[in-house]
Amino acid sequence: MNHTLSILLQNEAGALVRVAGLFAARGYNIDTLTVAATLDPAVSRLTLSLQCDDVALTQILQQTRKLVDVLQVAHPATALAA
Amino acid sequence: MNAQPLKTELDTQRHALAGQPMSGADVIVQVFADEGVEVLFGYSGGAILPVYDAVFRYNALHLKDNGDESMPLIVPANEQGAGFMAAGYARASGKVGVAVVTSGPGATNMVTPVRDSMADSIPLVVICGQVASSSIGSDAFQEAPISNIMGACAKHVFLVTDAGQLEATLRTAFTLARSGRPGPVVVDVPKDVQNTALSFHGNGELALAGYRARLHAVEQAALSDADCAAFFAALMQAKRPLIYAGGGVIAADAATPLRVFVETFALPVTTTLMGLGAFDTTDPLALHMLGMHGTAYANYAVEDCDFVFALGARFDDRVAGMPDKFAPRAKFIAQLDIDPAEIGKVKPVHWHHVGPMTRALERLTAYGRAHGLCPSLDAWHTHVADLKRVHAMNYDRDHTLIQPYAVLQAINRHTDGRAIISTGVGQHQMWAAQYFDFRAPRHWLTSGSMGTMGFGLPAAIGAQFAHRDKLVIDVDGDASIRMNIGEMETVTTYALPIKVVVLNNVGDGMVRQWQKLFFKGRFAASDKSLHKKDFVLAAQADGFAWAQRLERPDELEATIAAFLAFDGPAFLEVMIDPDAGVYPMVGPGASYAQMITGDFIASRNAPSTQETTASGMF
Repeated sequence: MNHTLSILLQNEAGALVRVAGLFAARGYNIDTLTVAATLDPAVSRLTLSLQCDDVALTQILQQTRKLVDVLQVAHPATALAA
Repeated sequence: MNAQPLKTELDTQRHALAGQPMSGADVIVQVFADEGVEVLFGYSGGAILPVYDAVFRYNALHLKDNGDESMPLIVPANEQGAGFMAAGYARASGKVGVAVVTSGPGATNMVTPVRDSMADSIPLVVICGQVASSSIGSDAFQEAPISNIMGACAKHVFLVTDAGQLEATLRTAFTLARSGRPGPVVVDVPKDVQNTALSFHGNGELALAGYRARLHAVEQAALSDADCAAFFAALMQAKRPLIYAGGGVIAADAATPLRVFVETFALPVTTTLMGLGAFDTTDPLALHMLGMHGTAYANYAVEDCDFVFALGARFDDRVAGMPDKFAPRAKFIAQLDIDPAEIGKVKPVHWHHVGPMTRALERLTAYGRAHGLCPSLDAWHTHVADLKRVHAMNYDRDHTLIQPYAVLQAINRHTDGRAIISTGVGQHQMWAAQYFDFRAPRHWLTSGSMGTMGFGLPAAIGAQFAHRDKLVIDVDGDASIRMNIGEMETVTTYALPIKVVVLNNVGDGMVRQWQKLFFKGRFAASDKSLHKKDFVLAAQADGFAWAQRLERPDELEATIAAFLAFDGPAFLEVMIDPDAGVYPMVGPGASYAQMITGDFIASRNAPSTQETTASGMF
């Protein structure tokens, strides 16, 4: 099913590539992607959507949290459901 | 680089060199010294020359009492060798291995060791020279997009664009490499940054708020009474519990708490390839290795067990090729790991804890003792002892050709599980894993996840620098050693008393084994009988004073004894039975119950049901 993730990451050289590269390397197709600076210019917010099942979603959330530049990974739909 | 250095240290802990003017290159070397780096591995080149010069000057000013350099820079034949030397050093010592290479080809030659170390969770810091900041992106000479390339395979990569952040970045690289689940960290340093005049701070790291918050949460995680109660409720109901220990036990230095846990609750232990040495393989409760080429008795124990306790192990495809059929009778699987992403990644578990291994094991042991909880496992112990006796490792002891297993057993009789063993990848690697004893962690250096041929020789070199007085043996194959054979000369250049034994079966033995099984014996590109190399002459040409070829079984014992007794680098080529196979074997897509055990290890299956002859050649 369709999932939307909201990722806060440090505004470092190559940080976007690392997130996108992780999804590519683990075989997840990104459907949409937007990146913008937040009020704190050192932090960017990356919003992306993808199609995957719940098991895959858990894994991609965990793997994204292992990226050093990533500050926070949120899955708003689960937050709302919970 | 927007992150600000943390002011973590008080002024009273001011570094003796704080405020000193230094070049970027000098800062790099001083941080190495502060981090306790005692050896560097690397190959020079234009974009790293300032750092090499700084190492030279540092060593000239910091000679040890015995006249040795305090941070020797070991030069390989190829940067890949430097990477595997650093990895071998890290695996054998538990410290961070450091490699320093130039830009472009120097850095891209380092990709394989970095990915290999990522896959096996080995802490490395790799410094890559880079073309000057102003030239990045201009297709300059020896330019490669290292932060892009390494970002895909390292734990993290920094491209230092602001010289003012160099010192904090370097120090952070060491923290990242060794914290949490260890891994390789690459720091790409443009040449102008190396040459920038800086003032040394002597402390401070990058903030990395997200990483540090997650690390803190994992490091502070503790088992509650309810967690312990749930664990023991399941364990006390179990009749046949089994520990499945992986490389995470070694990375966490948790072999001692594991031993205490086993002494207290008497669970049998099987280890993964990466976990060999986490538990003394000579212990009566040790089942040695499980998996595709695990011992038959370990794999049957996995089939029979009703409780699995996975410690720093990740159910990878060489262990749980068919996750649904792995440990099919297990009513309860418990998993301990430092990495949240490994929990339930392959196989769902009933109980898990993410946190430091030592504290968790000590907590469980204390809880069980305090509550008088100890499962009665006499029947299971008898069963495990029977499995070990009936399904023991074995081979054709009367064959006229030298059997590789006999060679390794002969070496093992001398080393008694106390030598450091490195390997390449293939049949010889699996035979070494199966036939050597490992009494302690960090004695077994092998490319487990990536399976990189050519790993063994440079890893042995790195290990010898970690343990100057220990016996280090590279057990290699004729194909694997060719991959980094330039490092033979490195062994003699640095007068390292490494013992290199090549089990020569004239080709890629493991590939041939699969071609026999699954490709009707068509040996596409795996036969090397037309290759002309004389390994003994090659070793002599590289300066090995002891280099021999063993071809007769009746000379095996005496030759091995002389080889191991030689005081200095020694090379032994053993011409082995080219048809010798690796057994047992759990084929791809097969369950442990369908394991092939070959002609000399007892199987539970009736011979008629054994599928040993997919090609008719076995």
